[in-house]
Amino acid sequence: MTLITVRPEPGAARPYAFPAVRRISAHGGTVIAAHLPGQVLATAVLLLDASAARETEGREGTATVLAKCLEEGTTARDSAAYALALEGLGAELSPSVDWDSFRVGVAAPAPLLAGAVRLAAEAARTPKLDPADVIRVRDDEVAALKMDWAQPGPRADAALRADLFAADGRYRRPLHGDPASVAAVSVDDVLEFHRSWMLRPGVLLVTGDLDEVDLDVLAEAAFAGTSGGLVAPEGPLGVPVPTRPHVLLVDRPGSVQSTLRLGHRAPERATPDYVPMTLAATVLGGAFTSRLNHQIREVKGYTYGIRGSYGMTRRAGRFEVAASVQTAVTGPAVRDTLHEIAETQATGVTEAELDVARSWRAGQLSVEMQTPGAIAGALATLVVHGLPDDYYERLRREYLEATVEQVSAAAAKHLAPGGLTLVVEGDAAVIRDELAEFGEITDVDL
Amino acid sequence: MGRVTSPSAPVATTGYPWPIESTRLANGLRVVVSEDRTSPVVCVNLWYDVGSRHEPAGQTGFAHLFEHLMFEGSQHVRKTEHMRLVQGNGGSLNATTNPDRTNYFETMPAEHLELALWLEADRMGGLVPALTQETLDNQREVVKNERRQRYDNVPYGDAWLRLLPLLYPQGHPYHHATIGSMEDLNAAGLDTFKAFHQQYYAPNNAVLTVTGDVAADEVFRLAEKYFGAIAAVTGIPAAPDGSLPIPATAPVRETVTAAVPAPRLYLSHRTYPFGTPGYDAITVLATVLGNGRGSRLYQRLADGKRIAQPDYIGSYGVDLAHAPAPLIITATAKDGVDVATLEAGLAEVVQSLADEPVTDDELNRAKALLTTAWWRGVATVGGRADLLGRYATQFGDPAAAGSRLPRWLAVTADDLVAAARETLSPESRVTLTYLPEESA
Repeated sequence: MTLITVRPEPGAARPYAFPAVRRISAHGGTVIAAHLPGQVLATAVLLLDASAARETEGREGTATVLAKCLEEGTTARDSAAYALALEGLGAELSPSVDWDSFRVGVAAPAPLLAGAVRLAAEAARTPKLDPADVIRVRDDEVAALKMDWAQPGPRADAALRADLFAADGRYRRPLHGDPASVAAVSVDDVLEFHRSWMLRPGVLLVTGDLDEVDLDVLAEAAFAGTSGGLVAPEGPLGVPVPTRPHVLLVDRPGSVQSTLRLGHRAPERATPDYVPMTLAATVLGGAFTSRLNHQIREVKGYTYGIRGSYGMTRRAGRFEVAASVQTAVTGPAVRDTLHEIAETQATGVTEAELDVARSWRAGQLSVEMQTPGAIAGALATLVVHGLPDDYYERLRREYLEATVEQVSAAAAKHLAPGGLTLVVEGDAAVIRDELAEFGEITDVDL
Repeated sequence: MGRVTSPSAPVATTGYPWPIESTRLANGLRVVVSEDRTSPVVCVNLWYDVGSRHEPAGQTGFAHLFEHLMFEGSQHVRKTEHMRLVQGNGGSLNATTNPDRTNYFETMPAEHLELALWLEADRMGGLVPALTQETLDNQREVVKNERRQRYDNVPYGDAWLRLLPLLYPQGHPYHHATIGSMEDLNAAGLDTFKAFHQQYYAPNNAVLTVTGDVAADEVFRLAEKYFGAIAAVTGIPAAPDGSLPIPATAPVRETVTAAVPAPRLYLSHRTYPFGTPGYDAITVLATVLGNGRGSRLYQRLADGKRIAQPDYIGSYGVDLAHAPAPLIITATAKDGVDVATLEAGLAEVVQSLADEPVTDDELNRAKALLTTAWWRGVATVGGRADLLGRYATQFGDPAAAGSRLPRWLAVTADDLVAAARETLSPESRVTLTYLPEESA
């Protein structure tokens, strides 16, 4: 048998283009749409300035409870009728809350999208919010959070966030709150949050074959009965980083793996270093061949996978490494991970590594943006961060043109191995002693 | 090369309105191409007709371990280079193993099609010379961590591992789970794994599918160039026969007391193999029963009686093609609801499918949701390539993929009652119950 021994050269690169973006102002709001000819399904997302960051301290999770109340009936119909009407179109509502927005999304065959948007807007703008339903949904959400928190990960995430954002109000608590804060959410909290933040027009994102969709009709449905304007965003929260690392130990007796969450604060999404930071994190812990995954998974076999990344929102950012490692190698895995972070911070990246990172990030802009849902997410990024319609072409160019010097400088500036918070969730009785070398240990009870 | 062209059909009558062309190389490799110029990307997908159902006793977990070893280098591709070349040229990749088969796929910017074909050919025809003890040892450790992370360290994480042996008798190809036994993986030597690859990773045991920004003729030419010299393998052993009576003839019950936050039930039934009219009815039935807020389970137990947690109730079929496939129905108790109440509630709703005809509204809702799910599945070149690879491998005809959605839409309320009566009786039920430790 003769296999071809020489790796083939690439063919001619196809030109990259983000779908044509169309903007219309109608019925008191803005529609931003991307044309995807030939797609059977279309997606619409109502993007509202009603993020978790708008919640009151101590009532974290209010927006999430509200999101789950939207389908408990509207002023026009009860919950069973609503489910039948929406699902009869093949659509399901996907309300979601993040640090910068509240999104109400629907996807349906394009000719049915107008009906789905009408129902989505009905739920978002005129939910019934019967007090008994709100209480029940809240209690169900507390139960669901307890289910979630029984898995490895959420408690470690909460411990890291509480430590990194200790002085930053709402940002101290998890995105969807914790079992205690959700239990404290009252009917009035939910009604007040809805009244304050869900009745402003917001922006409607539409993706799909626009020849099958009437944007004016969608705008009319999305913005009917809305009022109020934009609220100016608050400024960034800054980048405080401690001078020594410390360990937070979250006990999970009997755990066969230890969950690692190592992190520190980083700049917000608007930072001019966004591209070189993203590429530095890709080299360190983003790609499969990243330094961390290579060392911790492929060489040592300590884990099924390890990732390092910057998470950046409008007001805050953080660097984080996340992995689950076999309990017996917790200490060595932390040590090797810290070594790779420190090495990357001190000596930067190589041309060969950066070449992989640039091409991967640039290629992903076409490979991972094929569907109406993915394009709608990309449009949401433009709106939330105030980016221009040609942003993705520009981003692709910036990825491909980033130099070793720029990316190494970003790693030097935005990695802080000496200021990491090391959260380890695992069998404390087994792993405590081997964590002492990494910093002072504090037990965290969640 | 023999060549078959399946003309595209209008959207209303097919779930696959893109062109499909296929051929077979002299070594038996089937090649399927579906051109679509919408995005400047291509997907290369290989289905190997080897899954955990092929594993004899003492070799469980082998098919899945191979899914790992295939990324660790081959004759002309150094260890870790596969990932570097795919990601380093902008691509996304993955692989999965299930009881039926193993698949490998990468979506790349279209100019890197040839690279993807070269990589796939090299690991089909040239893995064995590159497989070392060090790689084997390392990937065994990775798989053990995969098992810990996905099954052992997660509440209810081992439900699937427990359901399979309850659903399928000892010796049945679906009896053991794909992740396999760590003891079997430890016990085998390098030569055993090399033999496994030589046996199953053959061109005549695979389907190569390419979808996206490329013409069929170009793919056929490149397939011949890269795969054409790989020799066919004779005498590939078939998996053990999976035939079983439908339904099972005796109820089975297992109760697990574990570190779980709330009582949970899994009810499961063996139904029909994926691809049959019976399983089409089960797919629609599972949607009527447990998909979405308008489903019977949600309406009656999460809403309605309010005995089940709304985020953790549902039903779904597992699309296995070589034996009666399972339908799984699950619910988790709300605070203060005992598991017997929940089980009685679930059983009543399941029984309603046999006793209480599905209404037009329920049926239309289910079909509308399945329609959206179908089109979502084929919205990417990756989704389409995997679909065509499945139909070529399991039914000998990639174009048969286009008939699935119309067949779902043709299912009637009477079909659902008949399927429910035949397969969902309490006498054929597997009941797996999880109880929190403190209530033991």
